Amino acid sequence: MRNVRIFYKKKGAMKFVSHLDMNRFMARLIAKSKIPVWYTEGFNQHIYMNFAVPLSLGFEGLYEILDIKLIDDNFSNEECLNSLKSVATKDIEFFATKEPRLNMKEIGFAEFELEFDELDAEKLNAFLSQESIFCEKKGKKGKVKEIDLIPKIKEYSITENKLKICLVAGSEDNLNPSLVIETYFAQTETPPCFYSVSRTQILTKNGELFT
Amino acid sequence: MDTKTFEKLLLSVQKPGRYSGGEINSVIKDKSKIDVRFAFCFPDTYEIGMSHLGMKILYSLFNSREDIWCERVFAPWEDFEKVMRENNIPLFALESRDPIKDFDFIGFTLQYEMAYTNMLNMLNLAGVPLRSCGRDDSHPIIVAGGPCVCNPEPIADFVDIIFLGEGEEVDLEVIDLYKEYKNCGKSKQEFLEAAAKIEGVYVPSLYNIEYNNDGTISKIESLKSAPKTIRKRIIKDMDQAYYPDKFIVPFIEIVHDRVVQEVFRGCIRGCRFCQAGFIYRPVREKSSDTVNSQAKCLCENTGYDEISLSSLSTSDYREIEPLLNKLLSWTDKSHISLALPSLRIDNFSDEMLEKIKHIRKSGLTFAPEAGTQRLRDVINKNVTEEEILTTCATAFAGGYTSVKLYFMLGLPTETDEDLKGIADLGQKIVNLYYNMPNKPKGKSVSVSISVSTFVPKPFTPFQFEPQITEDEIRRRQEYLKSCITTKKISLSYHDSATSFLEGVLARGDRRLANVIEKAYSLGCKFDSWTEYFSLEKWLEAFESCGVDPAFYANRKREFSEISPWEHLDYGVTKEFLIRENETAHSEKTTPNCREKCAGCGASCYGEGVCFEKR
Repeated sequence: MRNVRIFYKKKGAMKFVSHLDMNRFMARLIAKSKIPVWYTEGFNQHIYMNFAVPLSLGFEGLYEILDIKLIDDNFSNEECLNSLKSVATKDIEFFATKEPRLNMKEIGFAEFELEFDELDAEKLNAFLSQESIFCEKKGKKGKVKEIDLIPKIKEYSITENKLKICLVAGSEDNLNPSLVIETYFAQTETPPCFYSVSRTQILTKNGELFT
Repeated sequence: MDTKTFEKLLLSVQKPGRYSGGEINSVIKDKSKIDVRFAFCFPDTYEIGMSHLGMKILYSLFNSREDIWCERVFAPWEDFEKVMRENNIPLFALESRDPIKDFDFIGFTLQYEMAYTNMLNMLNLAGVPLRSCGRDDSHPIIVAGGPCVCNPEPIADFVDIIFLGEGEEVDLEVIDLYKEYKNCGKSKQEFLEAAAKIEGVYVPSLYNIEYNNDGTISKIESLKSAPKTIRKRIIKDMDQAYYPDKFIVPFIEIVHDRVVQEVFRGCIRGCRFCQAGFIYRPVREKSSDTVNSQAKCLCENTGYDEISLSSLSTSDYREIEPLLNKLLSWTDKSHISLALPSLRIDNFSDEMLEKIKHIRKSGLTFAPEAGTQRLRDVINKNVTEEEILTTCATAFAGGYTSVKLYFMLGLPTETDEDLKGIADLGQKIVNLYYNMPNKPKGKSVSVSISVSTFVPKPFTPFQFEPQITEDEIRRRQEYLKSCITTKKISLSYHDSATSFLEGVLARGDRRLANVIEKAYSLGCKFDSWTEYFSLEKWLEAFESCGVDPAFYANRKREFSEISPWEHLDYGVTKEFLIRENETAHSEKTTPNCREKCAGCGASCYGEGVCFEKR
């Protein structure tokens, strides 16, 4: 048995597939692809799948990662990729399969690209270059706690109506770019406008590309 | 509408996956190479409509033709409807996102009467006039099918063409005729008149209905050489019948999110309340090889990990055991589980139970339908209390601890004694559990009793019967509740108001069109959803149209009365239905089709159970 890390893009209509639905979707796609995949052995057997950092509904993902286990060691990464490509739909694009190099725990950051319908670049820049930005974050159990956004923002750049921003990500700490933007709208009294979000990269704690 | 604008709007509603399209196996075609565009509408939410097998079959069948592009349309939920109306987005098809008002056909499948207002809402959202008389040659042809159209009269004024029976053949014949007429520039009227000559095609506008002073129908007259009676169509050879090799696999979870494998059509039983048991006659089976290979193919093309065998009574399938063996030979290996709904208890053997023990355990469900043997004889539900208790004993011994029982309230000749019988049967099952010598320690039994309200339906022996009034429904529900004395039994029942309206619409005539349109204009939609249903609005609609709903729901019909569906022929004859009604009132049962032919008339199709070798 060996692990395979699958890299894919989630675009177009797939943006509207929630993380939970994505689990089902991938399981069916993998079953369809006939990859010799390992099933869990519990009461309710299912394909073993481990997704790196869930992607919010409505976001595009250009560097999405999913680990599976193969029961046939002779089934190559290339065969695996081809099998997945043969069943992929228009808006899901598999682009690599590799032996996992790092543990999912090593994930530290994610890079996002946001495109605004209207953006005052200077105003956003001024907002993000503050020493601290306190806001309320809803926890998993509905608990609201106050957090500072600044330490969670690794870097950012603004060009015209686009914001490129690198935020903490992973199982220990995670920041959703929507929280940054909603806080910006609220605290600077900017009328909210539509913005699209694309997650472009997943990085390690050292800021390298996670593979 | 450009993709970006559309996606923005989708992000503002719940479950955008209902409207996004792009699912696995959905069909995209090149518009320029298409002759006929068909919008297949299911007048309810995506999750319900996508679970419907008939739609899957016809969608794939239509799209197997190069010249046809069939797309799906569902009723948008309130939040998205608001977005659509605010942004002037007309109802569109999921695949192309093109407005359906520009299609050649808009087709509705009518599975339950409570969806009628949704049909009107969808036409309105599409920007199509509701009534056929208000539409001209520039509008799509509005067609409808499904079990409700065995009495389509309440919605007859809204549709141009109604397909009676199974659509696989007749739908394509009509589409071909349409192509021919379109190509030589003939009018819609000419097309409709020609279509009416195809067997199974009912063009309501070619029939004139006259009424007596007492409100009953005096005459149904066909115009312009349309046939006097229209006979439903069926597929004769189920092994040769078209069946999809792939299903669309939705992104969001739908009600039946699995491979649904049809096993046979029709039912041999003839339970007298059951419309499906009569309108789908005669029983026609697929061979176990066909079922097995179709199911396997669907699993491979969808990636689903569950198969559900579908029919009206799967345990009546003659090849059930060979089929289970064939299926189990590969499903286990492929991590696919089997589900067997609608298993009747009277041939639920130990062997069968053993076989399905490997399969993921779902609940144990029985449908005795009535609480006493007398009433079960009246409705021809040939199940005895002894059989129910024996099966429960086997099931309890096999580790089951919960039982679900389905009953109906308000059946013809029902008395309080019959209702008490429901509670008594529940109690006997509870006692049976506690009297088991080796019952599991510390585990309790739970019996859930679900009671729906009987609604007399066309083409059943009870089509002549009055439905009990709403007040009486509620009284009987209360009485039944008072009969249950243990917490081991939980009781649930249907809303009496919904049942009443269903009763009106099921046996209604064309005069209800005004009422339905009025109710719609008062805001009625999603009537099958309790959070939306408003009897007050419906009563207001009846009132303002001067129509008495009790005339349709609560009135006993004489055998000689002309029913609104008198000109439709579903194979079963009126003489048979009358005979069965009389047998019911003499509390006698009728053997099932395989035991003894009851002469229902369905043998006229020359196929199926009527000609099985015995």
